Amino acid sequence: MKEIIQFIQKIAPEAQIEQRKRLTVTVRPEEVHLVMKMLRKNEVLCFDYLISLIGMDWGDRLGVIYQLSVSTDLTKELVLITATTDRDNPLLYSVTDLYETAHLNEREIYALFGIRFINNPDMRRFLLNDEWKGFPFRKDYLHDPKLNPETVVSSEISDIAPRIVEKENGELIEEQVPLFDEEDYIVNIGPQHPSTHGVMHFRTALDGEIVKKIDVHSGYIHRGIEKLCESMTYPQMLHLTDRLDYLSANINRHALCMCIEKGAEIEVPERAQYIRTIMDELQRISSHLLAWATHCNDLGATTAFIYGMREREHVLDIFDKTCGGRLIINQNVVGGVMFDIYPDFQKDVKAFIPYMREKLKEYDHFFSHNAIALGRMVHIGHLCREDAISYGVTGPAGRASGWSCDVRKHKPYALYDRVAFKEIVRTEGDSYARYLNRLDEIAESLHIIEQLIDNIPSGAICAKLKPIIRIPVGQYFQSVETGKGEFGVFIESTGEKNPYRVKFRSPSLSAVSVVPLISRGAFLSDLIGITGSLDFVIPDIDR
Amino acid sequence: MKFFNYIEGIFTALRSLAGGMIVTWKELFTPKVTMQYPENRKTLTISNRWRSELIMPHDENNEHACTACGICMMNCPNGSIEVLSTTIETEDGKKKKILNKHLWNYGSCTFCNLCVITCPSDAIIFNNEFEGAVFDKSKLLHRLNREDSKLRERKKDTAPATTNTTIKKENKEA
Amino acid sequence: MLIYSQPLELTKFLAAIDNFLHSNFAPGWAIVVEGILVGAMILVMYALIALVMIYIERKIAAFFQARLGPNRVGKYGIFQSLADMIKILIKEVIHIKKADKFLFFVAPFFVIVSSVLAFGELPFGINLHALDFNIGVFYLLSVSSLGIIGILLAGWSSNNKYSMIGAMRSGAQFISYELSAGFALMTIVVLSGSMQFSEIIEGQRYCWNLFNGHLPALIAFIIYLISGHAETNRGPFDLPEAESELTAGYHTEYSGLQFGFFYLSEYLNMFIVAAVAATLFLGGWMPIQIKGWEAFNQVMWYIPSWVWFIGKAGILMFISLWVRWSFPRLRIDLLLNLEWKYLLPINLVNMLVMVMIVLSGFTLTDLFPALFGN
Repeated sequence: MKEIIQFIQKIAPEAQIEQRKRLTVTVRPEEVHLVMKMLRKNEVLCFDYLISLIGMDWGDRLGVIYQLSVSTDLTKELVLITATTDRDNPLLYSVTDLYETAHLNEREIYALFGIRFINNPDMRRFLLNDEWKGFPFRKDYLHDPKLNPETVVSSEISDIAPRIVEKENGELIEEQVPLFDEEDYIVNIGPQHPSTHGVMHFRTALDGEIVKKIDVHSGYIHRGIEKLCESMTYPQMLHLTDRLDYLSANINRHALCMCIEKGAEIEVPERAQYIRTIMDELQRISSHLLAWATHCNDLGATTAFIYGMREREHVLDIFDKTCGGRLIINQNVVGGVMFDIYPDFQKDVKAFIPYMREKLKEYDHFFSHNAIALGRMVHIGHLCREDAISYGVTGPAGRASGWSCDVRKHKPYALYDRVAFKEIVRTEGDSYARYLNRLDEIAESLHIIEQLIDNIPSGAICAKLKPIIRIPVGQYFQSVETGKGEFGVFIESTGEKNPYRVKFRSPSLSAVSVVPLISRGAFLSDLIGITGSLDFVIPDIDR
Repeated sequence: MKFFNYIEGIFTALRSLAGGMIVTWKELFTPKVTMQYPENRKTLTISNRWRSELIMPHDENNEHACTACGICMMNCPNGSIEVLSTTIETEDGKKKKILNKHLWNYGSCTFCNLCVITCPSDAIIFNNEFEGAVFDKSKLLHRLNREDSKLRERKKDTAPATTNTTIKKENKEA
Repeated sequence: MLIYSQPLELTKFLAAIDNFLHSNFAPGWAIVVEGILVGAMILVMYALIALVMIYIERKIAAFFQARLGPNRVGKYGIFQSLADMIKILIKEVIHIKKADKFLFFVAPFFVIVSSVLAFGELPFGINLHALDFNIGVFYLLSVSSLGIIGILLAGWSSNNKYSMIGAMRSGAQFISYELSAGFALMTIVVLSGSMQFSEIIEGQRYCWNLFNGHLPALIAFIIYLISGHAETNRGPFDLPEAESELTAGYHTEYSGLQFGFFYLSEYLNMFIVAAVAATLFLGGWMPIQIKGWEAFNQVMWYIPSWVWFIGKAGILMFISLWVRWSFPRLRIDLLLNLEWKYLLPINLVNMLVMVMIVLSGFTLTDLFPALFGN
């Protein structure tokens, strides 16, 4: 990392470089693009993975925090901060040309903070509609319902994208670019559609059956969870994470708990770690099962859908008995877990493992080698490794493109450094590889649970906590591996009992941002198959 | 050679399809997983940690454990709990809160269990009565403490309410 | 040939009705009344079979999926499809603002009329046969291909992009598979030497066409099942509907009775395909008989012919359901690949082989006339 520090000092001499928990670099807005370009093209340590873009309002300044990492070594992290004092017309430089994942994130920051990005090819608002007045995530936002009244009238979606382009002489030009050609045959896949798994909206230009272009339109279930968190205490925030990616509810919550524990320096008891890990893996199984089921359903195999749901039911029963919830299980709390395991927990889990293995075999016979299914998945929706990294597609989908990105392996948390498991990586990058990855990961999860289930130590399930949890001033980030990919929690604390800013890194947003790329030129039916194979959850995107 | 591949392709495909059909054939005779809900009510087992309805257990003397401290109200993430109390002065001159009404909104509760785990006197718990549907939204606002109930005097031997077994719905105010 | 006792056949009953009408009406009127009765009977059967099939399909699909299926309306839910029918009848027919109103209205009729026409031609049993053309197979092929016009019209007139794509897919699919289905049936026509259903059935008295023509007949049978299945827009071939892609394809905008027409005809088409396959390949209503085993044959004849017919068709329908609930959906290019690169060439060769077998006397009836000859 020393080379990196020297390297940054060389390109941006005025940059403030601090060695906090992670290397943090603050640069002037003009230098951001250059610094990031150099980091991206760096030969020693190529920071080619943009974990997340976080819009910030520090009161006097509006800015962005970039969290960068190295795709081959996820432990190397670098935080880049930039800010502008102009609150009326804040402009920053886009990094979309370096990291594709920045595109939708910058649009989101524009909608929520009002920061516009120069050279972003499409600077419409994401998550909010065009008519929204004010920028809700700014600290001085007027929370007045009269400003943005509830309406029952649907508004037309504008197909004209504004953007700001910088000419070579440094002049900024605002342009309006139409998204589609005049004669395009545009079909709305969503927001009400059986296969978008929620209220996702793909505006799809078709040429016959062939997909020409897709415009991702989201935000139908945007609840402003990150904003809500700012007014809540840390324990209160927890129940909102379950409502992001509700299929990996427990894992999301684990991430937030760990982030708070990291900040408040709370030691989690051993028993709680065991319970957390086992529950996480059970949750992963249930998430993958549902992903498998819906993917098959998208391809037209309704029966497979029911089979997947049937097996998932067994996991949910275990959840239900452990913590009284099925989908949203509220198990993790700061410092440990809320409920201890029930007496028959081990018995039930041990009965489930061979049952699930049997069913995995059945899935294999039923669907994995089916000639029609192969025709629908092999060589479809090809995502290469470079694109996966650039778009930040993690999880089973990223690993299907040959990118070893399992957070459990690279940045182990809980008990993952103590159990033996294989990271499933495939290099084909097509729908079929993503499909197989999920099934294999179920098997690996069973393997992990098997190693832990008999060794749960006795002891407390939750650390002793102060009545009010406060986190020292600073920025904290913790990522975990959910069923969908790398889920991260960023907390900026001012030492109060509630956070100053919370940001969730959503794996589904990356997955959805890559859809236009990999389904271009595919059939309409394949678009559905591809979205199914990427497995995203809409509330995780909209937050 | 091409012709051979063509024929081979047909048979591989047929074999894989037959494999799928064998699986469904077997499933045709497996026991069905559907639960017949209203019929199986008597045999239905709900896990005893299942959280459905917030209640305040009262003992036979119509006494509860709520000291009206309001911690549950403060901890509730979305304001589903409202504790109405009056402050009185006891004989020895100490100020003391008396619970008037403990109101809980079933409609907005997210069942995060924060109120239960933070309650210092274990006065409220979730029960298993999962059939909470009503026809009138106003019925979702429950008053948890009963009419004329009062605070249980603290004795050392009273066991805290731990299990949420068969607590009747009497304490629900319509 | 012995005359077997057939206690449960409807022949005598029908003859009685015929006598009654002829003795009470002028000959011309008697024919008219008979025509009306037969027509009414066909329509009633049409609706009834559809209702029963919908129920059975839902039940079987549920069992494949480890569910129970409909079980709330009546014991085991047997009145479920009746209740659904009543619901569909009283449901509002929604008029689409920007649709082509006339074509939108007409489309379901095309679909249902074509399937009723085909349905009316089926030989349900001895003398249970409304029409017995000498070009029966040809007639059936031509009327059943009318349905596609309705589907195309529905897709076009709905003014909905999903419907449009669905209809276009349907067009491509139907035209392709009609070819295979036709060729497969022609293979059997070559074997039977007739296009008339009654003659084809009579020819299978001791040996079903499926066995009579051995290998080529078996291939033709499989091809007919596949392409017939594809023509009904079901199972892995339900691209025009493609629930997970096009919500409901060509009938997205239809509601109430108009949707009911599409729904009915879908099920009836499945029945028609199964019935035609049963008639042409499995001996139709003809009971299983073995030459010389008179006692056995008599027992077989005690089972009425229409039960044989429904039973054979039922088995084929079960296979169709089984396939439908086992496989994922094909994509349009895979679908056309299957037809044009596999089914059609195989079919052409198969037909040639069949012609050679028939000409050179290699059918089972020719090889072993003592066992299988009529």
